[in-house]
Parts: sequence; structure tokens; C-alpha cells
Amino acid sequence: MELIMLAICIWTLLFSFYHFCKKRDQCCYLLHYECHKPSDDRKLNTELSGSIVARNLNLGHLEYKFMLRAIVNSGIGEDSYGPRNIIDGRENSHSLEDGILEMDEFFKDTLSQLFVKTKVSPKEIDLLVVNVSLLSCAPSLASRIINMYQMRDDVKSYNLSGMGCSASIISINIVSNFFKSHRNSMALVVTSESIAPNWYSGNDKSMMLTNCLFRSGGCTMLLTNKPAMKNRSKLQLKCLVRTHLGASDEAYTCGMQKEDSQGILGFYLDKNLPKTAKRAFTQNIAIIAKTCLSYTELLRYFVMKYSKKKATLNFKAGIDHFCMHPGGTAVIEEIRKGLGLNHEDVEPSKMSLHRFGNTSASSLWYVLGYMEAQKRMKKGDKLWMIGFGSGFKCNSCVWEVIRDLEDANVWEDVIKNEKEEVNPFMDRFSWINQDTYDPPPGSLFQKKM
Amino acid sequence: MPPYPPPGAAKKLLKYVKLVYQYIVNNFLTLLLIPIALAVALQILRTPHEILLNKIWSLLHMDLIMLLSCLFLIIIVATVYFMSKPRSIYLVDYTCYKPPVTCRVPFSTFMEHSRLILKDNPKSVEFQMRILERSGLGEETCLPPAIHFIPPTPTMEAARSEAEEVIFSSIDSLMTKTGIKPKDIDILIVNCSLFSPTPSLSAMVVNKYKLRSNIKSFNLSGMGCSAGLISIDLARDLLQVHPDSNTLVVSTEIITPNYYRGSERAMLLPNCLFRMGAAAILLSNKRRDNRRAKYKLSHLVRTHKGSDDKAYKCVYEQEDPQGKVGINLSKDLMVIAGEALKSNITTIGPLVLPASEQLLFLLTLIGRKIFNPKWKPYIPDFKQAFEHFCIHAGGRAVIDELQKSLQLSAEHVEASRMTLHRFGNTSSSSLWYEMAYIEAKGRMKKGDRVWQIAFGSGFKCNSAVWKCNKTLKKCPEDSPWMDCIERYPVFIPEVVKL
Repeated sequence: MELIMLAICIWTLLFSFYHFCKKRDQCCYLLHYECHKPSDDRKLNTELSGSIVARNLNLGHLEYKFMLRAIVNSGIGEDSYGPRNIIDGRENSHSLEDGILEMDEFFKDTLSQLFVKTKVSPKEIDLLVVNVSLLSCAPSLASRIINMYQMRDDVKSYNLSGMGCSASIISINIVSNFFKSHRNSMALVVTSESIAPNWYSGNDKSMMLTNCLFRSGGCTMLLTNKPAMKNRSKLQLKCLVRTHLGASDEAYTCGMQKEDSQGILGFYLDKNLPKTAKRAFTQNIAIIAKTCLSYTELLRYFVMKYSKKKATLNFKAGIDHFCMHPGGTAVIEEIRKGLGLNHEDVEPSKMSLHRFGNTSASSLWYVLGYMEAQKRMKKGDKLWMIGFGSGFKCNSCVWEVIRDLEDANVWEDVIKNEKEEVNPFMDRFSWINQDTYDPPPGSLFQKKM
Repeated sequence: MPPYPPPGAAKKLLKYVKLVYQYIVNNFLTLLLIPIALAVALQILRTPHEILLNKIWSLLHMDLIMLLSCLFLIIIVATVYFMSKPRSIYLVDYTCYKPPVTCRVPFSTFMEHSRLILKDNPKSVEFQMRILERSGLGEETCLPPAIHFIPPTPTMEAARSEAEEVIFSSIDSLMTKTGIKPKDIDILIVNCSLFSPTPSLSAMVVNKYKLRSNIKSFNLSGMGCSAGLISIDLARDLLQVHPDSNTLVVSTEIITPNYYRGSERAMLLPNCLFRMGAAAILLSNKRRDNRRAKYKLSHLVRTHKGSDDKAYKCVYEQEDPQGKVGINLSKDLMVIAGEALKSNITTIGPLVLPASEQLLFLLTLIGRKIFNPKWKPYIPDFKQAFEHFCIHAGGRAVIDELQKSLQLSAEHVEASRMTLHRFGNTSSSSLWYEMAYIEAKGRMKKGDRVWQIAFGSGFKCNSAVWKCNKTLKKCPEDSPWMDCIERYPVFIPEVVKL
């Protein structure tokens, strides 16, 4: 009898050890990430933004007012970046080359730095995932990177496109799945958005918002599942939840690329977008709360709910940092209220929106960069990344911080100068919020109006 | 009496020698077992009954500990083996889109359009005519409605409606065929190279069929004509991680926004070759699908030659001097395709070739390295490893080149040539039209191995090996070849005079 028990114990031990080894090899570690900081000659300040709006001959005075109001209330500062063709005045005659040039500048800036800082060679990369929503060329951007950095010929590459602002989390999903069936691998994720060929030159108000909000930016990340590299890594992926509301027509059409009544291509944003975002978010929370909140908090919530009192989940019981997609001030505010957070919790997202604008899929990484630059990320902290995108999707993931993080990265100048968050557009164009239609004398718009 | 045997007899002799050699090497282990088994049998027959019975009895009376530990060792090894074995991926079924007759583009229509649109460039018109004459395409290939306009009207609206038409028709017939409900789909992968709207085509499918909100959807773009196999690779990786799941893979190429409207010759070539098409494939890793699945995935190998500049630039989307966007095909395409194929074969060869071929290849390799570098490299006989070949119908030249380099017969490349003739180059979905052709001809039997090879911009060469799970006796009713399979194979002349 004892022999049988002993045999069972040995078997259980061996089995658990095997399982533990397997799980350890399947973890997804973020080794390093590099956000893109374009050169200063690409800054879109108030002066330049105003002149770009003013030179659009398609806009009537109501549209000018709308556009300026959107810029003033957007929450974006003086230092966000635009693509070269828009700054050079060629926003209406963009070419495929402009889009590719924007991507090339981003690749050369971030990838070289990434490989140097991590001391990883491009030949060690086993998986490459690229996501850029609004640019699709042949050969793909993934092939372009393989060519630029001379990667191996058995590298697996995936080029995602059209997946919206939450696409970087989808790329992480592909990587974490890959790591579960391939041991000792390195993956490179490149996420960005193509602004150059997507300037809207028509006068449909629902399509002009993207001109005001989207800015150039991008991020490259190096991930691995090699257990030996855990100590050098920054974050470990704990869980990832994807929610797709495409089945609902209202959700599907709330962010859509289409032609306006005059046949000009633009990106349509519906008024109900914040509401749809909230719905998607609620569904996503329902799943992720189960995995990342502490048991005591969940227990408290259920007890409160069933005793028919008003019950709200306190997310701070399990999450230390909130990394929200800075889609716009309205979206950030909606999420903040939904989660019951205070203004300090959403400060990184607001600062990222102010400094870099809405860089679409890569914006989450700028928010992460801010938190790291402010030295807020300590070992053991949990970080929740929430992204939204057209479709309508809400994707979120929870990371655990492996070691204390202090890299100032692209936020170095902001941290040094301790610039205050000021809305520069308010100074110049605050008259737009008043009810009168008269612009101040000498301004660009006096003639047009 | 002639001093030497006649050449015909020598060839026959060589053939028999080769057959014997293959039989010996491929069944080496079995052949080795025969003398061992004989020796053991002889020994057993020699010893008297009592000593034999005594020996067996003492074996059974072994220590209990020894017996238990042996048993547990077996259990542990079995558990570890079954847990680390990759899940089998089954191709339950697939459908190919059959465009309506109204979208047909016979040569006369194509040339008439060409003359009207390019009226200022008669040389370009003549160039297109020469390409069309030698293309290997037939008169029944189809272009989407927007391209039938003179001049074509490639709006985003029109591109979306082409996407809806081809994708939804394929998925509808796949759902009818397999009986799968939208709620049962766990993973969705859509690949379309040159059209990528936001929201993506995958979101469009989720919206139309009201798929679940926890679906894992992926939209691959820009990956060329080999993207179909890239989607299958992604599906395979995902199905290893998610047990009991169904994956819907949709491969298509949307022609509407990519019709070149300029006059540069190298960029007019795709206009002559690319045609409308789509395929929807249902994959599963559920064990019960083994009974109804058509194929099982054996291997999938991807090769990317992007690190070589020439390979990277050989299929390149760019603007012509007038600013019109089109795809430039370089003259080195065949050479680069050959190189990429060689790399791919180097990886897939050891996985699929029988021992006899591998040994010959190894011996020739050693011989070339040590004895004489002038020896011709041995090209393994892939006909030993596969019964059917599906070569991407990229163009006549591609099929000719591969037939020559792999030493295939006309029957092996018939599926590819006939698909090019009937449907044109439908990009990533062409492999599935070719598979459907082989099934429609009643040639697919249980146990047959199919090799799908696709090339794409980048430059990529991807290949997949499927094993047929059940014999398909007659042409499936919804096959795109249903109404025309009796006419095939047709003879395709070198040049069709227009």
C-alpha cells in the first residue's frame, strides 16, 4: 500500500515539475521598448496647425469654427509631431512614398536603438509582428524591416492592418500564443500609424476630427520567453483579454474609413463613440476583473451586490497603474468615471495626449514611457493596459513589473523641464468658444470669415 | 549479337535497380528485423518446453517494486509524450468563390477596354495584348464590376462591395457545407494583400455573421500571394494553444482598388493576370473532427528571402512617373523564385522525402564536397513524397519553371495550369481552386499527400503538406469546377493569336 502511495507521490512530483518547466518556458517577458520621437522639424505647433486649417479651401466658416474648436478642446499641446508632407504643405497631394518615408524614419530611429540597447542581433529574431492600420503596401512593412535589418530567412512575420488603435495588444496576443508553442524565442513587435496619406481634405465634420487628433508616432518592442532573460526584462504578461463588438451594427460603424458625399476619402468618427467604448469596456472588465483583482475584493463586491447595496469594483485593489489609450479627452474622462479613478490615475494618459497626441496603436506605450520616466514603476506592481479600436474592439492586458524601472526614454525633456500642462491652443484660439463669430483683428481667419 | 544491350533495355534495367534500391533503403529497419526475428524463433524452437515455461514463470514473479516502477515509468513516459505532442490540425472543409458570369472578361472585352483607356499609348496596348496571348488565361476569368466601367471606378465603396460579395458568398457556402454556426467560430483570420480598410475585413465578417465578442480575429495584409499559407500557419500556432477550437480562414485578393491606370509596361502586367477570387477554409483541432475532416496538416514551412535586396524589390508597389500606383514585377522574378524554392526545399525535404532520396542527396552532397565539385547536384524526386502538387498559379512562367526544376510531369501541374486558365491568378486563394480541381477530377484518395507551394512579394516561398483523410469519389456539388470539369483538361497553346 505504502509503495503505491510512494509511487503516486513520485509521479505527481515529476508531473508538476514537468508542468512548471513548461509554463516557465511559455511566459511572455517584455525585454525593452523604444518609442519614436520624430525630429524637431516635424513639430506641429499652434501656428502651423492654424495655418494648415486655414489653407484648406474646402472649408466654409462653420467648418473652420468646428475644426478650431476641436483642436482647442483636444488636449494636444505644442510639441506633437506630424508627417513631412503635411508640414511641407502637400497634405492634399500625398503619395505612397510619403507614407513609406514616415515609416522608414520611425524604423530607423527606434529599431537601431532597440537592438543596441538590448544587445540582441536582428538575426536572433524568430517572430516579427507589424501593425500599421492605414497603410498597406506590397511588399509588406514586415518584409521591409526584414530587408532593412537582414533577418534570417526562417523568421515568421505577420503584417496586421486595418485593426485600429488597439492593434498593438493584438500583436502581443500573437506573440504570447507563439511563445506557448515555441521555446527559447525572441519576438519583435512594431506598432505605428500612417498619418501621411490619410489627411482628410473635405468638409464633412464627422471626418475632420481625425485631422485634429492623430499624430505621428510609433513604438517597437522586444519580447522573449527565454527564462534566462527574465532578470533583464521590464514586464511580464499576466493576462490578455480581447473583446469584439463587431456583431453590433452601431459599434461596427462608429469608426469607419469611407468616402464622403463628394467622394473624398476620410475617417468617419461617430458621435456615439464614447458610449460604444464604454460598452466594450464594460464587457472586457467583466472578464479581466476575474483574473487580476484580489479574491478579497471580488468577495467584497459579490457580498455588496447580493445584499442589494450599490456595489462598485475597486480596481485599485489589484491594479497599481492604469495605462489608458489617450484617444481623446472625452474617452479618457469616460473611462476614468467608469472605473472610479481620480485625476492622478489618468494623468499619464492626459500627459501623453498633450505631448504626443493620439498616435493610435502605439499611444499606450508612450503612456507607459511616462510612468516609467516618472519612476513610478516598482517591482511587483501590476499595470493594466486598455486599448480601444475601430471594429469596435476593446483589448486589455495586465503586466507585472519585474524590476524597478527608471528609463526616461522619450520623456526626458519633459521630465527635465517640468513643463506644465498648458493648452496652447486656448491662448490663440479661445475666441472660438465664445458665441460671436468675429475672429480677432489680424488673425488668419478674418478674411475667410 | 550486338556488343552492348539496346538503350531501351538499359533504361528499363536502371529503373528496376532504382526500384530495388528504394525498397531496400525505405524499409531498412523492417528488413533488418527479419533475420533477428528468425534467430529468436529458432532459439525458442530449440529450447525444450519445461525450461521455457520456467523462464516465463520467473519473469512474472519479479519484485513487486520492480513491476510497479516499470508500470509508473511507462505511465510517465506516455503522459509526457502525449502532452508534448503538437495538436493535429484538421481541415474540415473549404469552399472557393465562383464569380457570376456577368463579371467575365473574355480577351475581346479586355482588349477593347485597354484600347479605350490607354488610347494615348498604343505601345502599351500592344504590350498588354502580347502578354494576354501568352498568359495561359482563358476566356472565363472574372474581374469585379467596378473594373468593367470605362474608365474603372475604384472607390472605397466599390472595393468594400467586392469584398462583401466574394467573402460572404464563400463563407455562406462553407457554413452550409459544414453545418457550423457563427457562434462556434473561435478564431477568425482574413488575409487580403492590397486592400485594407478600417475597420478591417475581419471586423466586416464579425459584423455580418454576428460572431462572438470573445473571438480572436486577425487581419493580415500586404503579405502577397503566399498569404493564404501564412494564415494557415497563424491558425496552427493559435490552435496549439486553444483546445477544442474552430478557425475560419478567409483568403482573398480585392482587385478593385489595385487596377493600374497608368501606362508603364512593367506595371501593366498584373492587370493581365490578377482576377477575382476567394476561398474560405474551416480548420479545427477537435479530435471528433478527424472523422469528417477532408485533410490533415502534416507540415508547413515558411521561407523569407527579404534580406536579399534583389529578392525584396522583385515585386514592388510603387508610383509611376505620373503618380499612379501599381505593382512593378522585375525581370529577375523567375530566378528569385527558384532560389526561394531551393531554400524552402532544403527545409521541407528532410521532413517529407523517403530515406532513399535523402540518402542519395546526402551521398551526392558528400561527393561534391570531397571528391569532385563538378558533379551535378542531385534533385530529389518529390514524386516519391507526394501524390498531388498545387503550385500557385502565379503565371505560366512560374508553373513552367517549377515543372522543370522539380521534374514534374504534365499531369502533376495540370491542376495549376487549368486553374490559371479558368480563374486566372486569384493570388492567395489559387491554391484552393487547384485543390478543388484535383477533387473534382476524382483523383483525391485517402492517404494521398498534397504539396501546396506559394510565392509572394517580399520575397517569400511558403509550402504546406496536407494528407487526405477521406477518399472523394465525385465532384462536390458546390465546387467552382462543377459545371466545367468535363471540359478539362484543355490544351493551352503557347500563343493565342488575338
